[in-house]
Amino acid sequence: MSKVHPAVLEFEKMVKDRESYLKFIDEWVKYSWKWARESKYVTVFKIQASILHAIREYLDSQGFTEVLPPIIGPVTDPGIRGAKQATVDFYGHEYKVMSSAILYKQYMAAVLGKIYFVSPNIRFEPNDSVFTGRHLVEFFQVDLEILNGTLDDAMNVAEGLFMYVTRYVRDVHGKDLEKMGRELPHYKTPFTRYTHAEAVELVNKLGCSNPRNTEILWECEKVLSAHHDSPLFIYEYPKGSRGFYNREDPSKPGYLRDFDMLYPEGFGEAISGGEREYEPIKVISRIREAGEDPNKYRWFLEMLKDFYPLKTAGFGIGVERLTRYICGLRAVWEARPYPKVAGIGPAP
Amino acid sequence: MLEWLALKASELALRIKAGLIMLRGINDFINDYPLDEILLKAVKGKEGVYPFGELASYGAAILGSPINRRSNPRFLTIDDLILVPPAFTPKRLEKMAELLREPVFTDVNLEVNIGGLRSSMPLAVASMGSTDIASRYSIVIAKAAAKEGIPYGIGENVHTVRGYDKRLTHGHPSFKERVMAYLTNIDKYGGVFIQQNVEDAYDEHWNKVYSDKDLEPYINEGRVAFEIKIGQGAKPGLGGVIRMKREEAIKVKEKYHFLEDPEKTSRKEVERYSVPGTYTADILRGMIRLMRTSYPRAKVWVKVGPYRDVLDVIKVSYEEGADAVIIDGKEGGTGMAPSVAMKELGYPTIVGLIKIRRARLMGIDDKISLMLAGRLFNGAHIAKSRALGATAIYAGRPFIVAAMAKGEVGVRNFIEATRVEAQMVVSALGKYDVKDLAPEDVASLNRDLASALGIPYVYSSEY
Repeated sequence: MSKVHPAVLEFEKMVKDRESYLKFIDEWVKYSWKWARESKYVTVFKIQASILHAIREYLDSQGFTEVLPPIIGPVTDPGIRGAKQATVDFYGHEYKVMSSAILYKQYMAAVLGKIYFVSPNIRFEPNDSVFTGRHLVEFFQVDLEILNGTLDDAMNVAEGLFMYVTRYVRDVHGKDLEKMGRELPHYKTPFTRYTHAEAVELVNKLGCSNPRNTEILWECEKVLSAHHDSPLFIYEYPKGSRGFYNREDPSKPGYLRDFDMLYPEGFGEAISGGEREYEPIKVISRIREAGEDPNKYRWFLEMLKDFYPLKTAGFGIGVERLTRYICGLRAVWEARPYPKVAGIGPAP
Repeated sequence: MLEWLALKASELALRIKAGLIMLRGINDFINDYPLDEILLKAVKGKEGVYPFGELASYGAAILGSPINRRSNPRFLTIDDLILVPPAFTPKRLEKMAELLREPVFTDVNLEVNIGGLRSSMPLAVASMGSTDIASRYSIVIAKAAAKEGIPYGIGENVHTVRGYDKRLTHGHPSFKERVMAYLTNIDKYGGVFIQQNVEDAYDEHWNKVYSDKDLEPYINEGRVAFEIKIGQGAKPGLGGVIRMKREEAIKVKEKYHFLEDPEKTSRKEVERYSVPGTYTADILRGMIRLMRTSYPRAKVWVKVGPYRDVLDVIKVSYEEGADAVIIDGKEGGTGMAPSVAMKELGYPTIVGLIKIRRARLMGIDDKISLMLAGRLFNGAHIAKSRALGATAIYAGRPFIVAAMAKGEVGVRNFIEATRVEAQMVVSALGKYDVKDLAPEDVASLNRDLASALGIPYVYSSEY
């Protein structure tokens, strides 16, 4: 555990005393205007604007088209680790607020080729997510999709995007970062790419025991993240730990053509993405893994048939997590105004 | 004229018969289900382990083993197995050395871990769903099960039909009322297991439970399991039938499949068929993984009907780290199943026990609990199942019968009597921990069953 950023360490210290942390976070969320005007956060919000600006600049230069994201729809992304969806009444129909725009990304990639959304998401995360420092109930994602893209294409865009944004922020906000005491490391490209199995082996070697065939545990993810100076990729996750839209590798049954990117310095998960499953029967069988009725996803399945074969790849990158990483903040609740944290309310 | 009279007479006879058939559901149940045994325990508690009514009582009765069958069963049951105590009991000697006195049956430890939940004995209350009868008695059964320290299940559709926290139907407790009636009454034993079917998944039932603040402390303590339902004994391969008021049906028309469009029908009530849900080995594997990722603090249970490929279900569940598999045999109870399904679909409960025995012999160790269900209701059933590799028995109807007879007290009486009965037979076998039971403790009255289970056939010269 060589290089955990001091802000991450401070957060860990905070959550050790659960009671006083909960008291702190309650106040933080309910009276957010009290800290929002502090010079540190004024700077954070300015850097956040620059991050979004840089993201758009980079993606536009790479031939992506920005598309307006959906806000509600009859179904949304079910692949959200135990978080609940928000439901609204749409003239007698039950609609969901987007937990991610994944289903619509494939839709618009079929229309425009390379697309991205800057998209608001709602996920009612489990109560214990308040202790992760990485989960907000309301957050933004830059969500992109490439028609006929591959896993490698998606990882390459992720790497290029990260490099561009950090360079931009360094150029424009060098002094601000310095004032905040944030020194961004000098990254080495290409970022290391581990298969999930290699990553599990590595974390086990680093002393964090992680079972095979499951997601990398948060604790172990941090160990892995701290072990690196540059972001890193983990790809080829075992099937079953991810949403139904992640494509199974036809040449490696039981494994997915998907990836995560982790930030270094103990900040953990940055990006999730991969190639999408496009064979309707496979998608239906994967929907059943979540115990659901495919009928619920009817429009999506019909679209997959109409656009067959709809081969796409893409990823989503959380804006607050990226902000937290770049500014070196304790938690995502520092990385946006009026943060919404699981179980705490009412608050602005 | 005579012919006309004869015709009228047979018509009348058929009409009377037709009228009587209407009472059939109740009649079959009363004739066929072991009500005497369960009711005696529900009313008299642990005294109910003795076959004394009001007339015959201690000191005044002369008793012996019944040699007659009450009926002529169509297939073999667990009653075709017997428990065979030994004369030499080294384990009793060990227990005596520990206690420094002759051990008695109350010294038998029945505590077991069932699917990750600590239980005071190898018995679980089957997950019963939203049907009228299951719903009406759910609260008293929940409280009794909690106080007696045995796991308690909540079946499918309770959330969608009866409501999550607010009641959707008059006189029926919501899901939350049921679960809290149980959890607020547990002490050191017990835990709740919760089903979610396709329809409940639409309402994100498990997600809701998992992030419910009232349930959180119990989830953190490891007192909550989620039960995947891959069918049930009474109707393997078929889903349930739910009857709904027309107005209610219109509201949920989009979520569920109705045979008749509720908006177009003139009937007051419409039926909806809940689907059994499609599984393949891959789907089940993926589902367990997904659950372990999404709900890391909840246990994962899998309930299956009497399917021919049950060993594959056990194997996948074991490999993926599920905590329990329940095999529900064809005698399993239900609130609603077609006659043809109960009669023709699936194999008897005892075959489920053969499957469990085979799974254990294949190397499926006790990291996974294997439970047997389907017309099991007494202490001997517990002992026989345990001896052959099952972790516990899983029962539903006895609790309803006991609740109907005497409310919460009746259910507690029944559990207490079953506990005493189990302790008696285990001690008779010369053992003082239910975990020590082994195949040596049972023998078979039937040759085929003996060879299928790899236990002795009693009517043979080798025995």
